[in-house]
Amino acid sequence: MTFSKLYDTPATAVADIHDGATLLIGGTTRSGEPTALLAALLTIGVRDLTCICDFADWDGSEGILQLAQAERIARVISPFPFVGENGGVIHKQWRDGALAVEVIPQGTLAERLRAAGAGIGGVFTPVGLGTRLADGKETRTINGVECVLESPLRADFALIRADRADALGNLAYRGAQRGWNAVMAPAARITIAEVDTVGEPGAIDPELVITPGIYVNRVVYTPPTGDRG
Amino acid sequence: MPPAKLDAEAMARRAAGFIAPGDVVAVDTGLPSLIPGVTPPELGAWFLRNDGMLNNLPLSLADAAAITRGGYVNLAIVNAAQVDAAGSFAGTVSAANPDRQPPANSVDLAAGSGRVIAMLSHTDDQGRPNIVEALSSPADGLRCVNAIITDIAVIEVNGGGLALSEVAPGWSVDDVRAQTDADLSIPPALREMDFSLPANAPPSKVYPDGPSAIADVPDGATVFIDGFGGPGGMAHYLLISLRDRGSRDLTIVSNTAGIARVVSFGTPPGRTAIDHSVLIENGQVAKAIASFPVSPSVSRPSEFELAYRRGEVDLELVPQGTLAERLRAGGAGIHAFYTPTGAGTLIAEGKESRNIDGRDYILEYGLRADFAIIRAHKADTNGNLVYRGTSRNFNAVMAPAARVTVVEVDEIVEAVQLDLEEVVTPGVFVQRIVKRPDGFTGYE
Repeated sequence: MTFSKLYDTPATAVADIHDGATLLIGGTTRSGEPTALLAALLTIGVRDLTCICDFADWDGSEGILQLAQAERIARVISPFPFVGENGGVIHKQWRDGALAVEVIPQGTLAERLRAAGAGIGGVFTPVGLGTRLADGKETRTINGVECVLESPLRADFALIRADRADALGNLAYRGAQRGWNAVMAPAARITIAEVDTVGEPGAIDPELVITPGIYVNRVVYTPPTGDRG
Repeated sequence: MPPAKLDAEAMARRAAGFIAPGDVVAVDTGLPSLIPGVTPPELGAWFLRNDGMLNNLPLSLADAAAITRGGYVNLAIVNAAQVDAAGSFAGTVSAANPDRQPPANSVDLAAGSGRVIAMLSHTDDQGRPNIVEALSSPADGLRCVNAIITDIAVIEVNGGGLALSEVAPGWSVDDVRAQTDADLSIPPALREMDFSLPANAPPSKVYPDGPSAIADVPDGATVFIDGFGGPGGMAHYLLISLRDRGSRDLTIVSNTAGIARVVSFGTPPGRTAIDHSVLIENGQVAKAIASFPVSPSVSRPSEFELAYRRGEVDLELVPQGTLAERLRAGGAGIHAFYTPTGAGTLIAEGKESRNIDGRDYILEYGLRADFAIIRAHKADTNGNLVYRGTSRNFNAVMAPAARVTVVEVDEIVEAVQLDLEEVVTPGVFVQRIVKRPDGFTGYE
């Protein structure tokens, strides 16, 4: 019996994403964004999405911007939801009260995702002390360092991008693709990866696998289109 | 009229002048992102960017943030909108949205870095000062900035306020003061900005032999010892070097406390496996923190087990996953965490218990050591490590959690020869590299 996580199209891979879902969206500026999955998500018309991502209102994140333009996003959780005061559609919707924004520093976001994926109930971190980030959170001095308690952050779906996969869902990345995609893969109930190449099990040198297939539920082969980083 | 202000590249060059050989430098977006491009490569600096790239080495963001929070960043250079007299700064996003926007990203860089430099234009688009007595928007980092580089000055922040240490070419103290909304003291050493850059290389991490690499392990040190159970992934040569050095009262932290000697794991007939037992036999160990401290065979107790029965050593038993997580926390600047492992068992005794969302957890603390002696297959001269097979397991998680990590490898290659996608442990975590002597085996 062959077990495969391969899906034929991005549309079938995202078909059960529902209204109100919390999504992890991988990638940094111009690298590693799951563009095909985001495009498919736009076509199925789900609404009230919570999007957790690195850069949102940024010219490298077209997929998220298109979702925002179509008014599908209710909440953005991001270190960089928009840039300065001249942001685009997400900044405008936030100013108009149509969309909620929560800013979390990169490292804390990464650690909260990691905690969720690793079954950790919370972490005491020194980051954010004395800023509004610590407002309302438990603090504690450990080894002489004042720390704030941060909780794990888990999502319904992760939409990620990798360079190559095998049919078991083992993933390898290229360069900065690894950044968020590798952290997000373990932190969602269902992780969907779009990849440039797919091989038989074992096609990726095990020493080079970054995300073990146990974290990946669905794999979609999306041939590179040239302008994708 | 003062001359034109510095352009972004000149500011980046001045910032690069703050970098010492081999420094780990976290660079924010905006102005600081120009610094790597103007820094002489000979300096051997490690630039950590916010997309997880450490020079050309791709990291996950969790690993990248661990470098920052874990205290490995010598210099963090933040993109600020305002800095105040106390050294607090607001990032560009906070400054633009003071009413509802919580702090942006640069708080990561502000926590856990050795020195923090803020880069910004001395005035905003309307000519209003950005160096101010008190911030007009909430802080991204409180009292953390050590120096400020603007397009007309370098300002040092000390406990008592701001000191003007350098002015841009052609700028006078009065010109700078006129564009500043905070008191500037003028130290006698005030000078014109110098844009020359040092290009001296960092000291080599490659040590000639094991004894020289562990020569400063003091009595009473806490030492991580790598490996799993058998000979794979264990730094046998460094273990022997540590035995020969004779440091005493050591606390060793390891998966086992030395069972390879009594469990065969393929030991050739007539030979004895080298493991932690060489230190225990030699009376060097006071305590072990371990997951598998005793032999699985009652009839063949390990050296540690015998010493424990004699009351000569202490033991802290830690479940394997918790040991790995405590090591990871220690290296990642996480001071404590809640884990479900061990809740309601003997492991939980004396520890804080907490129910979170209906599940019981216990509080465990990060674990750090003075030294880690680890084993990898290959290192490059920057200390980037590649493992082979299971030898990755505890080595990779111990390397970041020790003050000094010493690695024993089969092969040392030039920095350009490793496949960077294959590197598991970035060289920032590795201080010393020793090649295992040809013909050296894990057996005596």
